Amino acid sequence: MRWDVFLGSTVAIGAIFAFEWPKMKRHPLKDKAAFLVLLLFGWGLAQFDLQYMSGPVTFLEAVFRPFSKMLNME
Amino acid sequence: MLEKGKITAFQMGVIMYPTILATAVLIVPAISAKFARNDLWLSPLLASLSGFLTMALAYQLHRRFPKQSVIQYGEKIAGRAAGKAIGLLFLLFYLHTNGLIVRQYADFVSSAFMPNTPMIVISASLVAVVSLSVRSGIEGVARSSFFCSLLFAGAAVILLPLIPDLDAKNILPIMEHGILPAIRGMIVPQSWFCEFFLISFLLPYVSNAKDGLKWGTWSVIAVTMALVYTNLFILFLYGERVQDLIYPMLTATRYIRIGGFIENFESIVMMIWVLGNFVKISVFHYAVSIGFAQWLRLTDFKALVFPIGVLVVLSSIWSLPDFQLVGFYISNTFPIYATIIQAGIPALLYLIALMRGQAPVRATQS
Repeated sequence: MRWDVFLGSTVAIGAIFAFEWPKMKRHPLKDKAAFLVLLLFGWGLAQFDLQYMSGPVTFLEAVFRPFSKMLNME
Repeated sequence: MLEKGKITAFQMGVIMYPTILATAVLIVPAISAKFARNDLWLSPLLASLSGFLTMALAYQLHRRFPKQSVIQYGEKIAGRAAGKAIGLLFLLFYLHTNGLIVRQYADFVSSAFMPNTPMIVISASLVAVVSLSVRSGIEGVARSSFFCSLLFAGAAVILLPLIPDLDAKNILPIMEHGILPAIRGMIVPQSWFCEFFLISFLLPYVSNAKDGLKWGTWSVIAVTMALVYTNLFILFLYGERVQDLIYPMLTATRYIRIGGFIENFESIVMMIWVLGNFVKISVFHYAVSIGFAQWLRLTDFKALVFPIGVLVVLSSIWSLPDFQLVGFYISNTFPIYATIIQAGIPALLYLIALMRGQAPVRATQS
């Protein structure tokens, strides 16, 4: 756990929440839920050491490797 | 209705110009040169076929399902479950690709101009500004982009002082090893041209959508010309050394000296780079935000813009510790991935729509 990342991401997420939430009073529940889920997902993801973690790029490279080999791109 | 704004077909064409070109103009020439050598100026000409194809597909699908984006008509064409899956695929693709665009932007700014600034500050500040613009709807995006696009297009003249240093003989021998090297050099640029499918998200809000095809075609032609122009310029300037450079355009402008004292033109490259990427990231961000709201059938997309912006910033660093890996992804994985998503799936959708006898809807202009 890196405290600077934790603090920075929490401040950013908090600012977004404070900016958007008062405007959403009249929105249906589904809109609010989508907003909160996306925001919390981003906050959770920010806590990982993302740069050195395998993720979408690793997955896509594994999936498309045979094709790029076929095209002799490497 | 999620979006109340309207844009014109001409605005759409102008927006798409930097949306394709912003990153292509700095990064793609060197990648093309690796495969095509001194035929690299032919590669954008061949690659533009992808642009015409995806644009025509987006337009034809739009004629059959006006006022809908690919997220919505995907469901109509392929059925509910498959349509939702296709929609999610598109959203994840554009979200992740936007992350990589932000990464290319931040890498360029930090390696060439601000080496001591943490990359996350560079990318997060741009995404914050873009989010504010996207939040104001399509008209906000269109107008801010229109202004930026004009400056971006005008920047082509800054290379002109280099004309005395050009050596046109570098172009010879044309097609020394046949057409194959040029075709291999086109694989990466054509994936950039595939991004013309983004007009699927803009066409529903174009007031004179009938002219969409016309201005879209002009946009593809303009992008092709701009890429041929830069590729020829750097080929004449460097010859086959182009492939050793990461940002040939930037290196070229560093040579410019007018009257012995006007120098440092790379700051202008920096300016067009920021403006062009602002437009590019806005369009991608807009497509993901409104697409996500359409996918979940929400009443408003504005609240989603900032949370999605956070995800864009995070995907710009996810499993990409350095620029070597970004370059590897762009030149090996992305071309195939982008072509399958943006040309393959739309072509499939179009075929299914044709087989089901979906005729174009007569235009009822609102």
